[in-house]
Amino acid sequence: MSTAALDYTRELPVVEGSPTAAEVDATIAAPLDQFPSRMWWIIFSIALSFFSIGVFCIGMTLYKGLGLWGVNQPVSWGFDIVNFVFWVGIGHAGTLISAILFLLRQRWRTGIARFAEAMTIFAVMCAGLFPLLHTGREWLPMYLSPYPNQHGLWVNFTSPLLWDVFAVSTYFTVSLVFWYVGLIPDLATLRDRTTNKIKKVIYSLFSLGWRHSNRHWQHYERAYLILAGFATPLVLSVHTIVSFDFAVSVIPGWHTTIFPPYFVAGAVFSGFAMVQNVLIFVRQAFNLKHIITLDHLEKMNKVMILTGSMVGYAYAMEMFIAWYGGNQFERFVFLNRALGPYAWAYWTMVSCNVIFPQLFWFKKIRRSIPAMFIIGITVNIGMWFERFVIIVTSLSRDFLPSSWGHYTPTFYDVGILLGSFGLFFTLILIFVRVLPVVSISELKAVIEGGQPSKH
Amino acid sequence: MSNESKYWKSLRELHDKDAVGELKAHEFMDGVTDDFKMSELSGMSRKQFLALLTASAAFAAAGCSNYRDRGEIVPYTRKPEEVTPGVPNFYASTCTGCEQSCGILVKTREGRPIKLDGNPDHPINQGKICATGQGSVLNLYDPNRLRGPEYGSSSGKSGTLTWKQADADITRLLDECAKTTKEIALVLHSVHSPTAAKVLSDVSAKYPTTRLYVYDLFNDANRRRAWQLSYGSTEIPSISWEKAKIVLALESDFLGTEGMTIEQVRRFTNGRDIMKSKDFNRLYCIEGAMSLTGANADYRLRLNPSQQLGLLLALINEIGLVRKKGSLKGTIPVQASGASLLQFANQHSLPVEVLNHLADDLSANVGRSIVLAGDVLPVEVHVAVNYLNEMLGNSALYEEKKSVSYSDHSTPSQLESLVARMKSGQVGVVVHVGTNPVFQLPKEFGYEEALKRVAVSISLVESTDETSRFCAYVLPANHALESWGDFNVRTGVYSFQQPVIAPLYDTRQKEAVLLSWIQGKDSFHETLYHEYLMTHWEKTIFPTLNRSVDFKSFWYASLHDGVVAASDHSTEPSRFKSDSLSTAIPVATDGYVIGLTRNFYISDGTFANNGWLQELPHPISKVVWDNYASISTRTAKELGVDNNDRVEISLPHGKQTVPVFIQPGQADGYVSIEMGYGRTNAGPIGSDVGVDVGGLLSKASIAGARVVPGAKIVKASGQYELVTTQEHHSLDDTFVKELHLKREIIREGTLRQYEKDPTFLHHEKKELFNIAHDVEYNGVKWAMSIDLNKCTGCNACVAGCNVENNIPVVGKEQVQRGREMQWIRLDRYYAGTPDNPSLSHQPMLCQHCDNAPCENVCPVVATNHSPDGLNQMVYNRCVGTKYCSNNCPYKVRRFNFFNWRDNLAEGYYEQEPISLMHNPEVTVRSRGVMEKCTFCVQRIADARQHATEQGRPLKGSDVKTACQEACPATAIVFGDMNDPKSDISLYRAHDLGYHVLEDTNARPNVTYLAKLRNIHSENLT
Repeated sequence: MSTAALDYTRELPVVEGSPTAAEVDATIAAPLDQFPSRMWWIIFSIALSFFSIGVFCIGMTLYKGLGLWGVNQPVSWGFDIVNFVFWVGIGHAGTLISAILFLLRQRWRTGIARFAEAMTIFAVMCAGLFPLLHTGREWLPMYLSPYPNQHGLWVNFTSPLLWDVFAVSTYFTVSLVFWYVGLIPDLATLRDRTTNKIKKVIYSLFSLGWRHSNRHWQHYERAYLILAGFATPLVLSVHTIVSFDFAVSVIPGWHTTIFPPYFVAGAVFSGFAMVQNVLIFVRQAFNLKHIITLDHLEKMNKVMILTGSMVGYAYAMEMFIAWYGGNQFERFVFLNRALGPYAWAYWTMVSCNVIFPQLFWFKKIRRSIPAMFIIGITVNIGMWFERFVIIVTSLSRDFLPSSWGHYTPTFYDVGILLGSFGLFFTLILIFVRVLPVVSISELKAVIEGGQPSKH
Repeated sequence: MSNESKYWKSLRELHDKDAVGELKAHEFMDGVTDDFKMSELSGMSRKQFLALLTASAAFAAAGCSNYRDRGEIVPYTRKPEEVTPGVPNFYASTCTGCEQSCGILVKTREGRPIKLDGNPDHPINQGKICATGQGSVLNLYDPNRLRGPEYGSSSGKSGTLTWKQADADITRLLDECAKTTKEIALVLHSVHSPTAAKVLSDVSAKYPTTRLYVYDLFNDANRRRAWQLSYGSTEIPSISWEKAKIVLALESDFLGTEGMTIEQVRRFTNGRDIMKSKDFNRLYCIEGAMSLTGANADYRLRLNPSQQLGLLLALINEIGLVRKKGSLKGTIPVQASGASLLQFANQHSLPVEVLNHLADDLSANVGRSIVLAGDVLPVEVHVAVNYLNEMLGNSALYEEKKSVSYSDHSTPSQLESLVARMKSGQVGVVVHVGTNPVFQLPKEFGYEEALKRVAVSISLVESTDETSRFCAYVLPANHALESWGDFNVRTGVYSFQQPVIAPLYDTRQKEAVLLSWIQGKDSFHETLYHEYLMTHWEKTIFPTLNRSVDFKSFWYASLHDGVVAASDHSTEPSRFKSDSLSTAIPVATDGYVIGLTRNFYISDGTFANNGWLQELPHPISKVVWDNYASISTRTAKELGVDNNDRVEISLPHGKQTVPVFIQPGQADGYVSIEMGYGRTNAGPIGSDVGVDVGGLLSKASIAGARVVPGAKIVKASGQYELVTTQEHHSLDDTFVKELHLKREIIREGTLRQYEKDPTFLHHEKKELFNIAHDVEYNGVKWAMSIDLNKCTGCNACVAGCNVENNIPVVGKEQVQRGREMQWIRLDRYYAGTPDNPSLSHQPMLCQHCDNAPCENVCPVVATNHSPDGLNQMVYNRCVGTKYCSNNCPYKVRRFNFFNWRDNLAEGYYEQEPISLMHNPEVTVRSRGVMEKCTFCVQRIADARQHATEQGRPLKGSDVKTACQEACPATAIVFGDMNDPKSDISLYRAHDLGYHVLEDTNARPNVTYLAKLRNIHSENLT
C-alpha cells in the first residue's frame, strides 16, 4: 500500500498480493491442518491457568458467599459489574464490524469480521458470568426470568437489571446465529478439503449440507443480510441498556442522560482496541499479514480515535453539566472523582482514554505495530477504569456523608477478573485452531478476480 | 357346570364337553409344571413375605428420618395455663446489668425470654432501659456459659464435679477456716438487694472470720465522699430535672454513662419537648473528653479536667462575690475569693462570652439550675459543686428520695490489706461472688499474684473469666433471668427480680449457693433462695410497709407489678456544712492528664462476650470493638501521631500502649481512655478486644480518682486499626465540610429563631413534579417521626432493634469492610472547628419512601410497597443483586454477604442455645439476601390480629416499634398518618418537621423535627 498514498478515487484492494482461490483456502485452513505449535501450547496453558484461578475463586464465592469480595455498604457493586460492563463493551466491536460495516458495504471488513465476531461471542460469554455471580443467591437465576408459576410471581419490568437480562441474552443469541450462518460456507469448504474422518463428520454436520449451489448462495446472502439488519440495532441497544443500569438510578454520578451514547461509543472504542490487540498476534502467528493488512489495523485505529474523542467529549460534558446543572450532589460527585480518594483512577481513565489515543492523529503511530499495540492496551485499561470510576466513586460517596465508604478489591475479585481473561483467551486459542479465523468464502469474493470484471 | 349352559367359550367347549371338563379340572396345561419343584422354592409363605415387607417398610420409615426434620412438633397434651403457643408472656423483673437496677418487662415466647424492655410501672426508669440492658438477653444464651461446676487450675485437678462434691468440699474448708480462724474473704460488687445483704450477714454470722470486700470498677465514690463532707451523709438525693432551667455539667456524662441515666435522659429531654413548650432548658457542658452530654449541650467548652476546679472557684467568685447573687454559705474560701472568671477564661483561652452567659444564667436562675460534676473528678470538685449548688439555692431541686446502698465500697487500704493477707496465707478461702478482680482491680494491687497463693479460691460466675482461671473451684451462677431477687437503689422503691426460665444448665443462684453453705449438707433445693426471699420480705420488709392486705396477696401482686412503692422514711434534710470547701486545692499538673472513663456498652467487662454490645458503635467516635486513647488534634501534633498510631502512656505505677484516636472537641493535654476492654479470658467473642488499661489505674483510683495527672506519653511503634461505622472526614477539609448542613440532611436552628419565626425552616417551599400517579393510601398508613431535640444519640434504639429483629453480629473485620448489619443507626455529624465542634445526631433507618428508589430497580420485585405504606422486603424472593441498596439514597439496606452467624468466631452464633434467643416472629435471614428496617412489621401484624379479634379497626397507637419502645427520651413517634388526631400527624405537620433529601422526591415517611439549640443568639455559630 505504500504507493497508494495519493489516488483516493481508486478502490484499494482489500487483500495484498493476488492470491488465488486455492491459495486462500490453503492459507486460512493451514492452522486447522497442523498440530499446534509449542508457542500455542505455552500460551494456551497460561490462559488455562488464569482461567483455573478464576474457577477457584468462583468456586470459593459460591461456597462461602459474596463476602469474599470487596463489595460492601455502600459500594454494593464492585469488580463484578465493572467487569460485566467491560466485557460487554469488548463484545461490541464484532457485531459492529460484521453487521454495520456489512450493511454499509465496507469490503475491508472481510479480513477481520470473523475474528471480531468470535471475540464478541467470547466476550459476551465472559460478561454473562458476572451478572450471574454477583447475585447473593447464585442458585436462583431463574427468578430473573418471567416464567409462569403457581405463586403468581412475576419479574419487575421497570428494573433495568431485567432489561439487561433480555438485552444481553438477545445480543448473545443473535451474535451467535449471525456468526454461525457466516461460517456455514466455510465449514462446507473445510468439509470438502479434509481427509480426516472425524473432522469430516463434524464439518458435514455443521455445514448443514451446503453444496455451494446458486440457490444456497441466494438464500444465504438474503439470510445474512437480514441477520445483519437484526444485529445492527442490537449493537446500539445492548450498551444503551447496560448504561440504563446506572442512568435510571437516583445516585448522583449515575443519574445522567448522556450515558447511552457515551456507553456505546466507549464500548466500540474498547472493542476495537481489543480486536486490534489480538489481531496483531494472529496475523503474525498464522501468516495472514496479506489478508489482515496494516490498512485494516489503521482503519481500526481511526475508529478508535473517533470513538475515543467521543468518550473524551462525554467526560468533559459530564463535568460541564455537573457544574452548569447546579445540583450540589452531582457537582460534588464529579469534583470527588477528580479530586477525591479515587482521583488516581479517574486520571488513569482520562489519560488512557482521552490523551493517549490522540497520538493516532499521527499516521506514523497509526501504522506502527508496537505503538498501536501499546495504545490499544492503554485504551482497554482506561475503559476498564472508566467503569470502575463510574460505579465505585459514585457509590462510595453518595448522598449521606455518614454512610460513605471505601471499596478495596480482594484476592477473589482480582482472581475472577483474571479468570475472565483466562476464559476469553482460552476460547480464542481454541477458536483459532478449529475454525477459520477469516471468512474463506467472503475473502474469495474480494480477491483480485473474485468479482466479475467491469464490462 | 350344567350341560344346558347357554354360554360357551369355544366350539370345542360346545361340542366336546367331556374333554374340556377334564382339562378344566387341571389348573395347568400338561408339561407346564414339569420344572416346578416344591423343594427348591423358598420356605417363605405369602403371609411371611407380607409380614417381612411390612416390617421392613416400618423399619425404613422409623429408622431413616428426614434430615430436615429437627424434631417432633406436637401440641401440648396438657397445656400450661399461662402458655399459648405464639402468644408472648411478659414478666416483670429487674435488670442487673449495672447498679441502676432498672425495672424490666421480660417478653417470653413458649417459655423462652427473647426481649427485655423497661417496666412502665417502675418509678425510676418508667418503661425504658439502656442499650446494655436491651442486649443483655444474649448473655442468657451465651454458648460460653458454664454448664456445671468445674475444677479450676489451682485445685490441682481438672474436669467437672458435681454440686454435691463441691458443696461438701467447700463447707469442709469453710469449717476448717472457722476453726483455724483464717479469714474467709468474700469479694463482691456493691449490693443493692436487701435480701442479698441479709444473706451476707448470715454468712458472716455463721463464719465470724468472714470479711466482705466490695468494689466496683466504675463508681461514684468521689461524689459520695464529697456528699459526706458537705452533708454528713452518703445518701445522695435525686434531682428534680423538670425544674432545672440551667444545667451545668462538668465532665459529667449524665446523659450517657453516669448515674441513673435512663431517668436523667427522660427527665432532661422532657425539658426540650417542643410539642409541650418552647421553654427549653439550657445545657452548658464543660469537659475534657467529648461525651454524649457534651454532644447534646447548647454550649460546650473544652477544658482539661485538672482545671475544672479552678473554673468552679472562679464561678463561685464571680456569682457570689462580684455579682452578689445567691447566698454565700459561711466564709468564702481563699481560693475562690481571688479567682476571676475573666482571668481564668483568658488563661485557658475559653470564650469569655460563653462564660459570661453561664454566670448570667446561673445568677438569673437561682433555685432553678443544677451543677453536676463527673464521677472521674476528684472529691474537691464535687465539694465545690455542692457549694455552688447550695449557694445558688439549687438544693431546692433535691428530692426527698435518696440513693440507697447496702454495702460500702472497700477503701484502697482495705483491699491492700486483703492482698497482703492473701499473700501471707492468712486468708483461707476467697470467694468471688460474681466478681472478676484479677481483671477489674487496678493491677497495682497485684491481686493476681496474691490469688495464686490462696489455698482455696472459688469463683461463682456465669462464665469463666480472668479470675476463675486461677481459682480452685469454678461454680456456675444463674443468669439474672433465672434468678430471684429484690433491689432497692432509691428510698421507697423496691424492684423485684423473678426467674422467667428454669436454669438452662446445672447452675445455681449465687445467694442460694452461699445459703446452702451455711445451712449445711444437702440443704440446697431449687426454691432455697425463693423461700428465703419470701421469708425475709414477710418477716422484715412487709411489716414496715403497713399494707392492709395479707402477705401472699401483696407478694403476688408485687411480683406481677415488679415494683413496690414504699412510703419514704423521710429523713431530715441534711444540713450543708459550709466549711467543707476549705480543703479544696487546685491541682497543679505537668505532663498529660489521663482520664479513665466508663465505656458505654460493655460495662466493667462483664458484657465483653456480648457481640451485640461490642458492635454497637461508640456514640461519639462510632468506633466498634475497641477502646482507644482520645486525644485532641493539637496533642496529636505534639506527639507526632495520627489515627491508628499507638502511644505508650507511662504513669508512676504502670504503663500501657494504647491506639490513638483523634477526637474533635477533646481538650488539649487530656487523654481519655475507656475501661472495661482488653479482657483475656472472656470467651470467643470478648477475649482480646481492645486494651486493658488496668495497669494505668492506681490503687487510689478504685476509690474514684480516675483523672490522673503527670503522665508521660510517647509514640509507640506499630499501627493498630480502629474501626468505625462512619468514615471519619477531616473537619477542616472545605471539600466535605459541613455537607450535612449544606445538603439539608441535618436541619437546625435556634430556639430564638423559632420563637420569632416558627416556619423558618420552610421558607423555600419546593414543589416537586411527579410523573407517576400518586398511590392512594386509604386506611392506615404508617409513618414515623424522630424529634432531634430529644434524641441524645444513646443507641438504645439500635440495641432494641437488634434484639427484636434478630440482627446478626458480624465482627470487627467485617465492620471494617463496611458490612455492619444494624437496621437503624445513629449518624453523627460534626460542624465547626475540630477544637470546638458542634455535633448532630440523627437516627437513620429505612424511610419507607412512597416513591422508593429501591423498589423500581429490583428485577424480581423482592422489595415492594404494601397498601399501608410499608416498603417491604421479601427475603424468599430476593436473589441479592444489591441494586436496591445502591439506589437507596439513605443507604439503610443491609446485605447478608455471608451466613453471618456461621462466619463469626468459627460459627459461634450458630452454637446452641443461641437459636432459642431468636424472635420467632422475625425470619432469620440467610446468606445472599438483602434486609432492612421493616417498621417492625411483625408487631403491626400482631396488632392487626388483635384488632380483628376484637372486631375493631386497627389504630396507629396499637403499634409500637422496637426502637420507639426502647428510646429513653421518647424521641420516636410512630403511628397512622392518615388519622388526623394521631400524634404522628401532629409531628408530620409540625413547623420543625422535615424530610431528609426532599429533593430526590422519594417522599420518605420518616419525619425529623429540626434541632433547636437553646443559645443566646438567634443565628447558629
